[in-house]
Amino acid sequence: MRDNACIVGIGESAYTRDAESPASVLSNQLRAATNAIADAGLETSRIDCLIPSQYGPSTEELAANLGIASLRFATTVHMGGAAAVTSVQTAAMAVTSGYADYALVVTGWNGYSATRTRNVLASNTSVIPGGDIARDYYMPYGLTVPAQWYALIARRHMHEFGTTAEQLGAIALAMRRHAQLNGRAVMRERAMTIEDYLASPVIAHPYRLFDCCLETDGAAAVVVTSAERAHDLAQPPVRVLGAASAHPYPADDITNRRDIFETGLTRAAPRAFAMADIDPADVDFAQIYDCFTFEVLQQIEEAGFCARGEGGAFVEGGRIELGGDLPVNTHGGLLSEAHVLGMNHVVEAVRQLRGGCGERQVPDAEVGVVTGWGDFGDGSIAVLGR
Amino acid sequence: MSDFPRPFPARDRDTAPFWEAQDNHILQFQKCSQCAHIRYVVGPLCPECRSFDFGWIASSGRGTIYSFTVVRHQTHPAFEPPYTVLLVEMEEGPRVIAQLRAPEDADVGIGTRVHVEWEDHEQQSLPVFVPEA
Repeated sequence: MRDNACIVGIGESAYTRDAESPASVLSNQLRAATNAIADAGLETSRIDCLIPSQYGPSTEELAANLGIASLRFATTVHMGGAAAVTSVQTAAMAVTSGYADYALVVTGWNGYSATRTRNVLASNTSVIPGGDIARDYYMPYGLTVPAQWYALIARRHMHEFGTTAEQLGAIALAMRRHAQLNGRAVMRERAMTIEDYLASPVIAHPYRLFDCCLETDGAAAVVVTSAERAHDLAQPPVRVLGAASAHPYPADDITNRRDIFETGLTRAAPRAFAMADIDPADVDFAQIYDCFTFEVLQQIEEAGFCARGEGGAFVEGGRIELGGDLPVNTHGGLLSEAHVLGMNHVVEAVRQLRGGCGERQVPDAEVGVVTGWGDFGDGSIAVLGR
Repeated sequence: MSDFPRPFPARDRDTAPFWEAQDNHILQFQKCSQCAHIRYVVGPLCPECRSFDFGWIASSGRGTIYSFTVVRHQTHPAFEPPYTVLLVEMEEGPRVIAQLRAPEDADVGIGTRVHVEWEDHEQQSLPVFVPEA
């Protein structure tokens, strides 16, 4: 991608855990969208590409509410938690190919006050790609939510590679420590020790409560344009150096993969790094989709930050904390900032590359990675640079 | 927790023979007539050779635990914890999910050999796994 697309605006709503929250998904998404457009220093009418998430308001509803009369391109990516990064990739494709000039990518849900995942899946598995398989082959046996599906992969990893509960705990602790430096994080002022982690109740072995991401309300958005247009805007552009998305095989069934640890990222990451001409060892930070702790470990391996089976050792000793070799989820992630379907990871990566993260700033950050994990292991990755 | 009914498989034109066999306490897989690939989950086309022709083979019902989870936090009103769900690699190759039926103190883990037994429900008979003696 020689003519890089650039992320030129970022915006968020408040992130909350309030059952009585008055904010609708629409209003949160509009808050994030208008913040991102204002951050870019752009007139709203210049937005001609809209990529909303599969959850929440449609393109039509968002365009009407934003007063955007004329869109040249709009689409929605159906890849669950991988969609935020793939949507940024799609926006990059649109603005570098000439199909649009300024793309708005917006994601958000009321995951605490309204859309509890367990209830959504119990009533309608078709919300996820591959949902028919879950309905017919997983749900009838009491595997009704992702924590229980993914537990099968995590447990097998422990068996094959000796991955320990303490290593999963190191991931939870790193996210929680980073959240203490982030005023937006839901888990700020709720410090956690390894003893707290190990004492937290088992949800679905090997996952404890603190292995599981938060349920929160909130929305986040970014504006993407071409490098040429980016230079006229308010913020220093963050370049999309490489981006890729892929699926594991088979994509619709976790359990019958010949290689059960394969994810979309296994194929996507080498493509994105090659496109960016960057080696994983040269990455300054990684915002990794952390639906559960083990998925962070698995993605660290599959993205090539270490070899398969070495993820447990990799996350130990503060290596993924600020000051370590590869700070991961410097905002606190889905585990300790908020669950905004991974768009908060994109926002944080941009903020780091702008140098605007205050006491959680990665010094001299030049290249960062953002990943997405969707449903049965769909994968996405963007390599971003300043 | 909201009041959702226990989930059961939804039969369609492709999968109905599979679920009907389960009601007769037979676990069966599709075997491609052209390349002999045994496939699971059920589908109309062989993903190895793209043949639509297949036959059904009955599983021996025996396999080895490939992975498992013990659910201790309730996420669905129809399933009361604790319960153990196994991913079992069957002798024919496919991996199959079903609940474990064993005494609480049974020594069961990855590598344990199990076999299929059946539990009848009004909507659908479903397999369970029992450790081999």
